[in-house]
Amino acid sequence: MTETAEQVAEKTEEEIDLGPANKVIDKYLDMSGNLMPVLQGIQEEYGYIPEETVHLTAERLNVYASQIYGVLTFYAQFHLEPRGKYIIRVCMGTACHVKGAGRIGDTIKERLGIGHAETTEDLLFTAEYVACIGACGMAPVIMVNDATYGSITVQKTDEVIEKYKAMG
Amino acid sequence: MVNLTIDGKQVTVSKDATIYEAAKQAGIYIPVLCYAKKLLPYGACRVCLVEVEQMKGRLIPSCTTPVTEGMVVTTMSDEIRKVRKTVLEFLLVNHVVDCPVCDKGGECDLQELTYEYEVVTNRFEGEKFDLPTDEVNPLIERNMNRCVLCGKCVRVCDEIVGYGSYSFINRGFETKIATAFDRGLNCEFCGQCVSMCPVGAILPRPFKFKARPWQLKEVDTVCGYCGNGCTITLGTKDNEVQTIRFNDETGVNDGNLCIRGRFGYSYVNSADKLTSPMVRRDGQLVEASWDEAIQAVSDGFKAAGDSLGIISGARLTNEELFLLKNYSKALGTENLDHSGGECYKGVTEGLQETLGIKASTATFPQVEKCDAILSIRSDFYETHPVFGMVVNQAIRRNEAKLTVVADKLGKFTKLPNARTLLHKPALELNIINAICSVLLEEGLAKTDGLEGLDDLKKGLKKFTAKAVAKETGVDEEAIKQTARELAAAENAAILLAYGLPYTAYSKELGIAAANLSLLTGIAGRQGSGLYLCGEKANSQGAIDLGILPGAKGIGAQQMLDDASTGKLKALYMVGEDPIASYPNRGMVEKAMDNAFLVVQDLFLTETAAKADVVLPAVSFAEKDGTFTNAERRIQKVRKGIKSKGDAKSDFEILQLLLSAAGKDAPATTTDAFAALTAETSGYEGITLDMLGKQGYVWGTDILKPVTSKLVAVGGGEASKSKYQLLVGSALYHSGTVSTKAKGPNAVVSEAYIEVCREDAAELKLEEGDLLKLKAEGGELKAKVKVDRRLPQGVMFAPYHFSAMELNRVYTGQPVIAVEPVK
Ligand code: SF4
Ligand code: SF4
Ligand code: SF4
Ligand code: FES
Ligand code: FES
Repeated sequence: MTETAEQVAEKTEEEIDLGPANKVIDKYLDMSGNLMPVLQGIQEEYGYIPEETVHLTAERLNVYASQIYGVLTFYAQFHLEPRGKYIIRVCMGTACHVKGAGRIGDTIKERLGIGHAETTEDLLFTAEYVACIGACGMAPVIMVNDATYGSITVQKTDEVIEKYKAMG
Repeated sequence: MVNLTIDGKQVTVSKDATIYEAAKQAGIYIPVLCYAKKLLPYGACRVCLVEVEQMKGRLIPSCTTPVTEGMVVTTMSDEIRKVRKTVLEFLLVNHVVDCPVCDKGGECDLQELTYEYEVVTNRFEGEKFDLPTDEVNPLIERNMNRCVLCGKCVRVCDEIVGYGSYSFINRGFETKIATAFDRGLNCEFCGQCVSMCPVGAILPRPFKFKARPWQLKEVDTVCGYCGNGCTITLGTKDNEVQTIRFNDETGVNDGNLCIRGRFGYSYVNSADKLTSPMVRRDGQLVEASWDEAIQAVSDGFKAAGDSLGIISGARLTNEELFLLKNYSKALGTENLDHSGGECYKGVTEGLQETLGIKASTATFPQVEKCDAILSIRSDFYETHPVFGMVVNQAIRRNEAKLTVVADKLGKFTKLPNARTLLHKPALELNIINAICSVLLEEGLAKTDGLEGLDDLKKGLKKFTAKAVAKETGVDEEAIKQTARELAAAENAAILLAYGLPYTAYSKELGIAAANLSLLTGIAGRQGSGLYLCGEKANSQGAIDLGILPGAKGIGAQQMLDDASTGKLKALYMVGEDPIASYPNRGMVEKAMDNAFLVVQDLFLTETAAKADVVLPAVSFAEKDGTFTNAERRIQKVRKGIKSKGDAKSDFEILQLLLSAAGKDAPATTTDAFAALTAETSGYEGITLDMLGKQGYVWGTDILKPVTSKLVAVGGGEASKSKYQLLVGSALYHSGTVSTKAKGPNAVVSEAYIEVCREDAAELKLEEGDLLKLKAEGGELKAKVKVDRRLPQGVMFAPYHFSAMELNRVYTGQPVIAVEPVK
């Protein structure tokens, strides 16, 4: 079949260990409605859904790769790119927005070079702009993984970033 | 039946009908976008909304709502008009309206509806889509800026094609149709999605800027490639076939086609086609007049006397074959044959000895309603792709259970709940025998009135499920289950394809399949059938018309053998290129070198290059006549374009030859049809007028066996070689003609050797590497294709490409022992 050089290159670039994905699939193989749990399991293993695992899942569960891709793009919970160790969620809800969430987003962009849904090259940080996270009282708010930082300012943002950088 | 009223008109329709279908039947027009006759009801676009008195308060989608007794439907009102217009306004918000350069312009549903509903202004405003066009592949262009999200492409590729290229991705405003990872389309290129798309979002690239739809002349004819016999509609302009068009009204294929039928037409217009007769003078082939050429043929054949053989292809029309048969009589030879002379023996000898007939017992549409289907050896999705689609629908819509007896995986084995009896190469016979033996052992066989039962029982002794499971590598229980299912099924089908690359055990497999069809009662039972499907467009016709060696004659292999040793003096090849495709190339070449050779073909093939006289023939698109497909359906082949230069149809050429031999020939193809039906068993009384939109099936939908005789056949022999090569046909091609067509070549243009990932790793091979194989004292080489469908140690090569010279080592054996060369 015709494949562009680009497609071929992209495929070979990504050589990942399929062992964990195979294990996840083994676990759910005989269950009906197993696609979602399999994809969630794979994401848990790899932190994202590597393309090769989609083809593996397609083959082993006998579903079309296109269909899996449809599911992966429909649900916000799935990530097709590797994600940072630290996920910085910047609340862009109304309250935070009014109190200058935009500036916080800009600061992160300036310091780390990443906007919404982007990841630093060293795979340390991923930024995500999210809707209200239910802490409007402390607006503007950011979260880094499970930790919440309220009433955040540009300076405090810097401090938070530095802290996680130091932790590596 | 259900009675209802639509726009004041009384309508009676079947109870399964939807409102839309009922209206259509009554001649009442309701617009649709996402509805398609052959797809499951969907109901997404909302342009087909109607009012139903019993369901007041809202508008009802007519395409998904079933009719009920006494329903009162109104298909147009101010309210309906308003809603439909709003739907259109919404669709046009982001749609790039680039009709002037859109190839769909003039036959686009959106364009037509916009015009009909006078959507001149739009109350909504939004950004126009600005997505890049997918034009990575040379056959299908996708412009998602024009997409109306009707989902037809997604559904057809899943529901019918079974490939699954597309899916809806993202959500909300961002929703669009994409392939996996939103890459360029890379699929089977059957073009089904092109046919289904109501707008210009998916278009055939070879047709780009070739013609406006209304400039095309449409001619319905039959695909010239495989025995499926799909109706195709030629779109012609300037005496060339510009495209193949969608037609779900005529024929047996519901508008479904495969890549060959859809995109394999370019050879018809090719400038490389022969346009003048040629004769050999002083060792050189030089152009000659028809008179000279016919004279040369007559002289050469006269000199040979009865030391002459005729081999035909199976893409001539029935009328042409009829003339050919008459010509062989005129020449006084019974050395007449077609298609290599071996591969069809499952039908001519296998079925003949058991059932007393030489054809499939039922028709394709019946398979859709079968509960159990057994497919032997070939993956119909590759050999007869549109029949494969019928099987897919049987499974998806009617939950048919499919069992595949195969030496490699394929699309069939991936269909939902397919059971695969994956066996070591060359052992399919053993498995069919084992299934028969289970039927007998478990008392499931219907043995009443069957002859030869004791002999069969004796013959099957060593084919117990257990023994066969062990030697073939197939699960014993799976063999037993298959037998039980076939016995229990109300309607069941057994499928077996034949063709040049599948000559091994052809007769035995035909017999084994017939035995099974007798023991299960499938042969001749209403709704069930045994299908032995020929490779080429008119394979069945060639058998029906007796293009076979006579009692005193010899078959194709023997003719070539004899010619190679000088025993046979002259050969006449009609639409066949044996050097490229017949087993045992070395011998075939010698035969062609030795004999006085006349070749009648479209191109200067390798065989033609050795000829003493070359007669230029024309393609299926340039002639009138009939083909008989693999289910005995006789259909009209219609001329779409005039032949170029001095080329003539095989019919016209044979008229000349017959008259040179002092015989009368029918003046027209119509006369020839009348004459051939009178002489051909099963065709008696059939007239051209009887070939309606669905053609005419000779012998009726169910061809009853004449005899019911069981015949014991032995098993195949497995190869012990670590590496084994299978020869077969590939989806994208059919015979060797398709290798001269741009469409199929755009996808697969050269031979390859397919290996599985494990073997590739062991042999340190990567996709595209050159692999050399030692085999049968010769050597083969081709690029490697790494795939996931072959068992370890098994390799596959398609037989279509002459350049690979596969037939130097392929002599018709079931499997070739090979050894990779470092
Ligand atoms: S061309 Fe055929 S296989 Fe390819 S996407 Fe369209 S329908 Fe599917
Ligand atoms: S591409 Fe065509 S067929 Fe597919 S969803 Fe869009 S409009 Fe419908
Ligand atoms: S090659 Fe066969 S299946 Fe394909 S379109 Fe032609 S007749 Fe139909
Ligand atoms: S708006 Fe940011 S926490 Fe609610
Ligand atoms: S045609 Fe009925 S909803 Fe689309």
